[in-house]
Amino acid sequence: MPKIEVNDKFFFKCLGREYTSDELEEIFPKAKAELDDYNKDEGVLKIELNDTARPDLWSASGVARSLRLATGKKVKKYTYLSSKGDTKDSGKRQFIVDENYPRYRQYSIAFAASGKPISEDVLKALIQTQEKICMNYGRKRKLIAMGIYKSDSITYPVHYGSADPDKTMFVPLHEDRNMTLREILKEVQKGKEYGAIIENELRFPFLFDDKGEALSMPPIINSNTVGAVEVGDKNLFVEMSGPNLKMLLLAANIVAADMADLGFEILPVKVKFPYKTEFGQTITVPYYFQEKTETTIEEAEKLLGVTLKAKEVVKLLSEMGITATVSEKGKITAYPPSYRNDLISSVDVIEDIAIARGLDSIGKSSLSDFTIGRLQPSERFSRKLRGIMVGLGYQEMMYNYLSSVKEYATNMRLSDEGMIHILNPMSEKFALVRPSIIPSLLKTEGLSSHAPYPHKAFELGKTAVLDSSASGGTRTDNTFAFMSAGEGENYNSVSSAVSTVLYFLGIEHTLKPLEDPRFIKGRCATVEVKGKAVGVFGEIHPEVLTNWGIEVPVTTAEFNADILREVKG
Amino acid sequence: MPIDIKSLHPLEIKVLRVSDEKTELNMDFLEKNLSFSVGHANQALSWLFAKGLIEEKEKSTVISYELTPNGQFALKNGLVAERIVTLLKEKGAMTLPEITKALEVESSDVGSSFGLLRSSGTLTMDSEKKACIKEPYTENQEVKTQRELLDRAEHTPLDESALNENEKKAISKISRKRGSDSIFREVEKNLVTYSLTKEGLSAKEQIEKMHITGEELGENTKEIITSGKWRDTPFREYALNAPLTRLFPGRINPYSEFITTVKDKLVAMGFEEFDGPLVENEFWNGDALFMPQFHSARDIHDVYYVKEPEYTDDIDEKWLNNVKAVHENGGGYNSRGWEYKFDPNFSRRQLLRSQGTVLSAHTLTKAKIPGKYFGVVRCFRYDQVDATHGADFYQTEGIVISKDANLKTLLGMLEMFATEIAGATDVKYVPGYFPFTEPSVEVHIKHPVLGWFELGGSGIFRPEVTRPLGIDVPVLAWGIGIDRMALMHLGLNDLRDLFDNDLEKVRMRRNTNA
Repeated sequence: MPKIEVNDKFFFKCLGREYTSDELEEIFPKAKAELDDYNKDEGVLKIELNDTARPDLWSASGVARSLRLATGKKVKKYTYLSSKGDTKDSGKRQFIVDENYPRYRQYSIAFAASGKPISEDVLKALIQTQEKICMNYGRKRKLIAMGIYKSDSITYPVHYGSADPDKTMFVPLHEDRNMTLREILKEVQKGKEYGAIIENELRFPFLFDDKGEALSMPPIINSNTVGAVEVGDKNLFVEMSGPNLKMLLLAANIVAADMADLGFEILPVKVKFPYKTEFGQTITVPYYFQEKTETTIEEAEKLLGVTLKAKEVVKLLSEMGITATVSEKGKITAYPPSYRNDLISSVDVIEDIAIARGLDSIGKSSLSDFTIGRLQPSERFSRKLRGIMVGLGYQEMMYNYLSSVKEYATNMRLSDEGMIHILNPMSEKFALVRPSIIPSLLKTEGLSSHAPYPHKAFELGKTAVLDSSASGGTRTDNTFAFMSAGEGENYNSVSSAVSTVLYFLGIEHTLKPLEDPRFIKGRCATVEVKGKAVGVFGEIHPEVLTNWGIEVPVTTAEFNADILREVKG
Repeated sequence: MPIDIKSLHPLEIKVLRVSDEKTELNMDFLEKNLSFSVGHANQALSWLFAKGLIEEKEKSTVISYELTPNGQFALKNGLVAERIVTLLKEKGAMTLPEITKALEVESSDVGSSFGLLRSSGTLTMDSEKKACIKEPYTENQEVKTQRELLDRAEHTPLDESALNENEKKAISKISRKRGSDSIFREVEKNLVTYSLTKEGLSAKEQIEKMHITGEELGENTKEIITSGKWRDTPFREYALNAPLTRLFPGRINPYSEFITTVKDKLVAMGFEEFDGPLVENEFWNGDALFMPQFHSARDIHDVYYVKEPEYTDDIDEKWLNNVKAVHENGGGYNSRGWEYKFDPNFSRRQLLRSQGTVLSAHTLTKAKIPGKYFGVVRCFRYDQVDATHGADFYQTEGIVISKDANLKTLLGMLEMFATEIAGATDVKYVPGYFPFTEPSVEVHIKHPVLGWFELGGSGIFRPEVTRPLGIDVPVLAWGIGIDRMALMHLGLNDLRDLFDNDLEKVRMRRNTNA
């Protein structure tokens, strides 16, 4: 979940007054925000934003805007927005997506802004907005990359196209020499960080003005000239590129709203595409592209369990930034603000009604449906086994289900064939899904030689293995295993324990010879019930013991609890 | 601190009873007055001394002689001098080397013994340089004395004080302080004489007042019970706080005990348990829950994929098509969907389930209406393991399917969870966000001991989740953070401790907070 850090004074200025921590905690839920920490000495508020479908909230301005709305305060009107049939004046500001645009990142849009000389606070806030939009919403620039430039040194129209990575050169931000696009990818930090998005393409995205002056290589890095925005700049040019037009338009609307709230005048830019888009071949940005979402009073009442009035609904939705109308028949038509596009279906509108109304106002009631509670048969069987094992003096253990090839295979004198491997292990410690409980139990003994004996432990848990006859080629079993360690532990003692457990389960079993490298030859057996193998037990092989750092005899038994339960009938 | 009389051993009691402030307590005294063996006397004195009931008064050194293995041999087979006499009596005159060879002893021993026997006129050397008995036979007094000493030392060492001058002289020739080649080992022992301390005297008084004799019955036995001995003799009273022997009981893991409790409470509220395999696929783990395939939580760095088989064909086409449609365009369920190209091949990718909600989705396809379902299931996340993140952990999740389900009944149910399952005294609801529920609610509760904490998340499944899976009534979905709750109940603060391999830590763990 996105977290932001904001300067308290700046945030309170956006909000319109100072708030105490308690007051903030009171109103934050309206923005699905949580106050993580308020360090008054440093003047830093740490805010966690829970709604991953609301990137407009991932900045100080955004949170402040939604809280102002929720508390009935005035908010700026965004008059710069064009929409279908309403195109705002873009002057000479033109942006052209060239014919040779990169086919893998086909969209780029832009707008401009001008205002007072930019202060450090405002620049910081702007950078944070950009950061959250590109990192979180834009999936580390894969879906959205954004650049801010000094518009004074730009000659319109600006062009988005592609360039030969080995022939095109410019000086990247914070560097002092001309470099080819490919060199930038290889040598500059941002190039290494984000290069994977474009490195296998024949041509790289390139942004330049009408004089051929480089603005940037999206989504990697700005130029060190036009692209080096600093404190004191007044006129800015904002550009975004990526593979999804709606995401870009939304991101542009969010950034524009933030900048407008910070005191900038937003100057529309006419963007021309060499292809048709769902909003035409020319779009003047920022552009209101959102669609209405419909629901009814009845549906809202049914989902929330409260009664609602038309007027109330309109007011509540306006507190969430949503413009709504309600027809005589109770049909609600909702238009989100330009910076939101999360009203996918009626329930999204209804939730906003609930949030604005406050959850405490909903009330509580009990469900009247009668249903029968029931445990899984495997759970009931586990409880029976647990009772028997505890009575026999065994300690129940609970283990992790992932470990290394070493622990599950090598230490056990087994090959890792038939075990489930993880494709993308975080480390070799989490390379396999547990095929058996025995390694977990032996790990316990290996770690526990300091503990007074006797050592008796068991676990009831899941194991999983490859099984071509099962769905998806793997099988998860409920497994039951126990271990005894110490001088005097031998085949007889474990066989006694096995036979005691099975006696109390009411299961008659026979023992068959077993060849299993985990056990000492001739001192282990397969347990069969009605001709079906249900488990194995025996004395653990000294080499296995040595692998685990164990110096005393250990016996173990392991059963497939599902088969055991089935044969029990 | 006054001594607990009940912690005294009968041997100590007896010693205290026979002593007074003037008594010189030592081994001799105890042997004479109580017929204690050396062992018992030693035990009694050392225990009393350790408890400060007696103190050292006098220390003297006593020398005694005990048989070495050589001495044991000589006791049975004779001293070298004795054996020479016997040999010569039998075989007649022999040279010294011949004697050495016949007796299989050191030639120096033969030499010195011959010297001794010649000096007493017992033996002589004949003209052929052979040793022979000198007639008439004269017994060597020193050898005789040594023989007597040997016999006397057969069972108990000889005290130096019990030897006369002659004997002392005789024994000095065949004894040494160290080594085993002599007949006797000379042992120096400290003989300590003790006297009662003030505490000892007061203990003695108490014992007498309480009529404790040291003859009381110890461990109760079948013999005592059946013989009726208990009618005449009192039982010794035991110290109540004597050190204990550790027991090693079999025990249920406190974490599983906690989970069992939660399961029982849910069953009591009418929930039926669900379960499923550890290996899932992208379809059920994400698609079916209306999480777009580009959702950040579906990144390669958020879930564990299965290497082989990497993909499964085992997804019902019906569900796959419905879900594809709802992602792309809302599927006709009054939704826009996510407006992107859904990739069915991505759906088939196998992974380790990352959220318990997968099983809720599975359950929807076969659920009864009305129905309540839950599961406490192991999930896997691609997280750096630390105190608050595990590679695998339990999630407790469930659903309520009912035509009456709405936000109001959701809040009612959450309150029931808060009080029934978590023992909360106060509940707070805040709007939450989950990709598969709308509205979504987070529940914070106040526990009388543990204070405020987040109990879990919940919401009403989006129609985009339920409709494609064939359910057209509202479904409440909820999850409870059971791992964190268990940590608090067990007084732990590291998630890794819940799955600890250390036997001692686990078997000593107990539920301290609830």
